[in-house]
Amino acid sequence: MQVFFQTLVGGLSLGAIYALVALGFSLVYRTMGLVNFAHADVVMIGAYVASTFYMSAKLPFVLAILVAIVSTGLIGVFMERVLRPLENKDFDLMLIGTIGFGIMLEAIAILVWGATGRAVPSPVKAAPLDILGVRIRTYSLVVLAIAAVATTVLILFLQRTKRGTAMQAVAMDHEAATAVGIHVGRSNAIAFAIGAGLAALAGGLAGPLLYVNPTMGASLGIKGFAAAILGGFGNIPGAILGGLAIGTIDAFAAGHFQGYSDLVTFLVFTVIIMVRPTGIFGERTVNRA
Amino acid sequence: MKLRLTGIAALAVVAWLLPYGLNSYAIHVVDVALIFAILAIGMGLAMGIAGQINLAQVAFFGVGAYATAILTTREGYGFWPAAALAMLAAAVIGLLVALPALRVQSHYLGIVTLGLAIAFLNWITNAPIAGGAEGISAIPVPPMFGINLFSEYLYYYLEAIAFLGALAFGLFVVRAPLGRRMRAMRDDALAAGAIGAEIPLLRMTAFVLASLYGGVAGVLYAGLIRYVAPETFSLATMFLLLAMVIIGGRQSLVGCVIGAIGLFLVREELTDFATSAQLAYGAVVVLMVVFAPTGLAGVPARLRAAWRKRHPQSSARAALRPFQPFPAAPTASSSQTAILEVRGVGKRFRGLKALDDVSLTVLPGEIRGIVGPNGSGKTTLFNVISGLYKASAGQVLLDGRVVSGLPSYQLSQRGVARTFQNLRLFGNLTVRENILVALDRTRTRSIWRYALWPIGVWRQDAALKGAAAALVDRFGLIDFAHAAPRSLPYGIQRRIEIARAMAAAPRLLLLDEPAAGLNGEEVGQLADIVRSIRASGVTVVLIEHNMGLVMSLCERVTVLSHGAVIAEGTPADVVATPAVIEAYLGDTTTMADVPIQIPSEATR
Amino acid sequence: MTQTTTPGHPADTAADGALRVDDLSVHYGGVCAVSSISFNLAPGHSVGIIGANGAGKTSTLKALMGLVPRSGGRVQLGDRDLTKVKARDMVRHGIGYVPEGRHVFPGLSVRKNLLLGAYVHSWRRQVDEPLSQVYELFPVLAEMGGRLAGALSGGQQQMLAIGRALMSRPRLLLLDEPSMGLSPKLIEDIMQALLRLRTEGLGLLLVEQNAKLTFEATSECLVMENGEVAITGASEELRHDPRVRRVYLGL
Repeated sequence: MQVFFQTLVGGLSLGAIYALVALGFSLVYRTMGLVNFAHADVVMIGAYVASTFYMSAKLPFVLAILVAIVSTGLIGVFMERVLRPLENKDFDLMLIGTIGFGIMLEAIAILVWGATGRAVPSPVKAAPLDILGVRIRTYSLVVLAIAAVATTVLILFLQRTKRGTAMQAVAMDHEAATAVGIHVGRSNAIAFAIGAGLAALAGGLAGPLLYVNPTMGASLGIKGFAAAILGGFGNIPGAILGGLAIGTIDAFAAGHFQGYSDLVTFLVFTVIIMVRPTGIFGERTVNRA
Repeated sequence: MKLRLTGIAALAVVAWLLPYGLNSYAIHVVDVALIFAILAIGMGLAMGIAGQINLAQVAFFGVGAYATAILTTREGYGFWPAAALAMLAAAVIGLLVALPALRVQSHYLGIVTLGLAIAFLNWITNAPIAGGAEGISAIPVPPMFGINLFSEYLYYYLEAIAFLGALAFGLFVVRAPLGRRMRAMRDDALAAGAIGAEIPLLRMTAFVLASLYGGVAGVLYAGLIRYVAPETFSLATMFLLLAMVIIGGRQSLVGCVIGAIGLFLVREELTDFATSAQLAYGAVVVLMVVFAPTGLAGVPARLRAAWRKRHPQSSARAALRPFQPFPAAPTASSSQTAILEVRGVGKRFRGLKALDDVSLTVLPGEIRGIVGPNGSGKTTLFNVISGLYKASAGQVLLDGRVVSGLPSYQLSQRGVARTFQNLRLFGNLTVRENILVALDRTRTRSIWRYALWPIGVWRQDAALKGAAAALVDRFGLIDFAHAAPRSLPYGIQRRIEIARAMAAAPRLLLLDEPAAGLNGEEVGQLADIVRSIRASGVTVVLIEHNMGLVMSLCERVTVLSHGAVIAEGTPADVVATPAVIEAYLGDTTTMADVPIQIPSEATR
Repeated sequence: MTQTTTPGHPADTAADGALRVDDLSVHYGGVCAVSSISFNLAPGHSVGIIGANGAGKTSTLKALMGLVPRSGGRVQLGDRDLTKVKARDMVRHGIGYVPEGRHVFPGLSVRKNLLLGAYVHSWRRQVDEPLSQVYELFPVLAEMGGRLAGALSGGQQQMLAIGRALMSRPRLLLLDEPSMGLSPKLIEDIMQALLRLRTEGLGLLLVEQNAKLTFEATSECLVMENGEVAITGASEELRHDPRVRRVYLGL
């Protein structure tokens, strides 16, 4: 029983990270109809930048993550600008374009930080908590808390602010959005930047939990994708639930199947997708004529 | 043509003599490059020709290699029997990957196929039978009638033959009816289905082809390196393959080969700067996607187009020739069984009622007009009849048999053809190829002939081309046969779409606003074409706004408004019906005091 | 009679002027959709553009807004040249646009849809007044404030689309086939609203297939056919002109 809860908590905190990845993904997809295959590599860059500023520059952990968020935000803006001519025109080519960016980001990571990767010490020095006999790493709770805050801020932004509402409107009908004065290109750029920022947050938080290396994007990415699709691509609450679900499945799969956990997760995901392609909450897609 | 043959002959000589000039390292590089070339062809077939996102190609590669390795080292099979089984395994995996492709496309497909690649990598890294991270070594040398294939020089010839065979077969498929259908599906799956392409089967075929090529590459790899390990089949390799195909030009198999060999050689040259090379080719992919989506292979075409823009041909301008009427069909006994019957059809879209209890009956040999104000449901009705939409209520019957709910390609097989309001021609196919796709009435299940009886395919293609030439001539499109439709004037594109619809030899032709955008003279030509089509025995139903055309062409007219039928009868009757006037003008009292005059045919 | 004014009279009248369209042309690929048409709209006046489907009415409106590229012609509002202005900036020049087919934002609430109409203004300070005026014009929108726009009926969505365009306090309202798919009763309601807006001084450019609605809602009309203006005249006179019926019914 103890093992079960420990695995569950571990799975939930990793799931919070997947949820953040999925959120960034879903946001970009929902606003631009673009599946960003470079998203996972942005997570990886975020992890590297955050850990560099935390470990080498000795910045406080939170500040290091903020630096990472700003840097990846800029990467996101750059990517959107380059791919803008293809927006609303050729989705397959845009997709391949993002893969190209992913390849570049991985190469940049190796050039800047080397290929071996690094372990990031936990920023929380407190001993693990003991609740009802279940040992919980304090850092896991910190991750859950930060993820919850970030999600709340995002939702508030989308639903309470003018820019956020405009972003949703662009996703639903970009011509009508233009008619009321919204700059569609700029809105997309902001969406991309926020998506990248969320990726950096996920990467920065993941540092102490996983081993930071240039290929960590693949596994994180595919699980983030799976989480987003599971919850219904483009659906914000769905991305969160999907992330937590995948994290939990992954944790239990790792416990029972060890190295095969990726395979198991993928199989579960494929089955769900075949049965219900729109995910648990149905896909809230961009309005594509 | 002669230039091409001499070029090919020269290449063949170079290829034959190549090993003599290379040291052992260089020949090894060439050997591996050829394997990647074969992989790239497979990927090009799935992605560039059939339009299916295929990020699992590296997994097919891996299945071929690992299956060979496991069967030879663990199960004691001989190399070639193991290779045969490995190919079978690759094909089976290809079929499995195709299953999601039936339900999802584009980005979903990308994720699923990528997930498969990762899952495969995960399995070979962990499974004991696959040797884990150490892989499998000591794969036996493939036996070949006393030739020692241990030598990489001699292995080169084996690969060269395999590569040539793979390329030849690939080019054969692309130029043959199957390849044409796949390209049509890639350009516009909806329109392809409407002219009879069985989309699900085509998608499966694309993936099986890609997996077979992956399997061949895997088998060759196992025989060459005689050691398989997970690093070779990683995501990095997958993305490298993708880059090869994009840079080379995914829609051209030769382009894929050039991209594969070129990028591979460049990478080998820059082994010491592997990561910078990766950064470079990632950047090239992004630039290509934005600026040169057709890749290197598309460069000659773009140069030619730019040249033509600067130096416009002063030679005789291409012109539309007059339409030659179809031979009239022998007058069939006036049949009273309706060819098309719509019974109480309703269609809802999330609460919006687009069609409301629509019923109509069309007799064979009629020309029926369907009219109504904007938003009255005319195109929705066509979409239900042609199988693009499923009716929420009611039935559609063709020759008395219920066809509602059948997908559009099955309706095409039963003799229903249509044109589209917004023109759906296959943009990357020539005019002649557009028509060739529709002429091809074979079922996908006969594709076994491609592997076992290619002569039959060749003969079929020749017959199709003959029929296409006749149809192109009939519709006056000779001068445009090899042009891309997009560049042609609108009126000509409309005529091409009708020609394509007629190529499918339909018994019922649905025309959706065929006169939209046509000038007076073109409308007259259209009317002649439609009358000739009817005279040849085809029933025509057309949606139109050009009332003059409807009046002079149609014997009966059905009027829709707000999704319901409000009038039906001869054009003269319908135009005088108060409900119709109200639907169009908003009020029967408007101009009620002004008499209506219907022009006779002579004055039109 | 209540003194509330409908949105449409901003204090700034510096650029208050007539809409002048000169030689407007639109080509889609090889097809000419609009062929060099010209017309004027004095401030506060109303002009209708009618014609059969495919006559080029919607293309004219979209080209005016800059939503489709113009292949020729000039657009001026008062002394301002709008020819180079981007579509998203048109609303800042006082032009409101109600697209064909409504195009409300289906996943957002009625209230949010309306607020977005005032995107170019401050939501804190400049939204309450136009919002209450729109609610007064279309009371049903006030009742449905929290409902998702996608769940509304066709007529309600049309009112919402018009209300959204009014939120930016435009001087000129462009409407594209507002009556499409609506029942006669709803068309009547919309017409009453348009008449009321007219009395408040809002300029109206109404593209319609429904000739009756257009003759009643506007003072002048253009009849388009094959991308050109076939007939122009006062709405009152065109009502009885047999040429109009010919253009519509091809007779």
